[in-house]
Amino acid sequence: MTQSHLTTKIGIDAEELAGHRFPYQEDPSLLDDIDLMALTPGEDLNWLEDIHLLGEDDMPAVFDRYSNSFLKIYFPIPQGREDEIARKVLMKHLTSGNSYGIQLKGRHAKFAQPALGPWVEGSETVGADYHPSALEGWERPAGH
Amino acid sequence: MDTVGERRITYDARGLAEPNAEVPHVSEIDGGRAVFDAADLTTRQINLELRSLIYEQGIRDVTVRNPGAKHSIGVGILQRCKIRYEGSLGYFGLGVIDGPEIVVTGRVGWSVCENMMSGVVVIEKNAGSLTGAAIRGGDLVVKGGVGARTWIDQKGGTIMVGGNAGSMTGFMMQRGRQIICGDVGDGLGDSMYDGTLYVAGKVKSLGIDCVPGEWTDADTELIERKFRMYGLDKPDSFQKFVCGKQLYNYDNLEPSEKKLVI
Repeated sequence: MTQSHLTTKIGIDAEELAGHRFPYQEDPSLLDDIDLMALTPGEDLNWLEDIHLLGEDDMPAVFDRYSNSFLKIYFPIPQGREDEIARKVLMKHLTSGNSYGIQLKGRHAKFAQPALGPWVEGSETVGADYHPSALEGWERPAGH
Repeated sequence: MDTVGERRITYDARGLAEPNAEVPHVSEIDGGRAVFDAADLTTRQINLELRSLIYEQGIRDVTVRNPGAKHSIGVGILQRCKIRYEGSLGYFGLGVIDGPEIVVTGRVGWSVCENMMSGVVVIEKNAGSLTGAAIRGGDLVVKGGVGARTWIDQKGGTIMVGGNAGSMTGFMMQRGRQIICGDVGDGLGDSMYDGTLYVAGKVKSLGIDCVPGEWTDADTELIERKFRMYGLDKPDSFQKFVCGKQLYNYDNLEPSEKKLVI
């Protein structure tokens, strides 16, 4: 992804970062396997309690805090299930590894951490071999 | 093993005081559970041991004995797991966590759970000032009292306090919920943008743009659920406070800022 792919509008969304739309943005049947309670710590929805259906570009959307981008939802959302659908679309996005923030981890993480976050057991560890870059000709300050 | 404090401090781009510290491998491991004594370990050694257990060895239940109120313990744990600290933690403990369920049997210093993303943290005794600063999600339960500016800049999550809270509680709160069983000092909810504060005791004074809110069935459901989950004694009644929105100019600034960075 290069900067030339980005529009100049103020907002930003996940498909703009990825360059394509994701299937679960259009097909609600792909959310059937998402168990929100199993995917969150504790006895309730935990952090997902703060996730609600929002809007972006006049479309229903959920905000992905791991990439600071909106994920638009293109299928009809049944009345009364707005937040549930928003949370399931977000968790599908995160557990699939499609969040731009997750993709950045492999390149920029400075400390060991699970690539897919805390939601996917057995996820690959990234960031364990971080080495700080050094400018050519730079020397450590005296005394260090 | 070197005595704590005798290591030579060297430069590291990440700002680490001990850039060459190695995983001490001192844990007793039994199946998926591990226990280690942190009394003779430095902060970095404790954190390296934790990350080795959780990330590399797949341990999902860890007990840390004698953390000794050292600072910055247990930060950056980004995995679903259970961690029990038998003792107290110093400043900036349990920061930037995402997913763990943690119990601290003692007290904690300033800024515990700063920038917590998700998970559950239960502190059995008191916490210092700036508890839960900028927390974004999850549950933080302090069974004792908390200091000043608790939950400054809170962006999500639920925080419960069994005792009293100090001045400027909920300063610049943007989202989330705070449930305080005791009294609160001056300036509750000062300059808050959003979110909800519930106080069972006396409020010394409200901050700018913090006003009483209307109680709803959703509030009752939240209070009953959280007290049931954590086995705390529920006071008979709570006052609810919200943002008066007289200073309201919040917009979608966060994603806009991100785009500038990208």
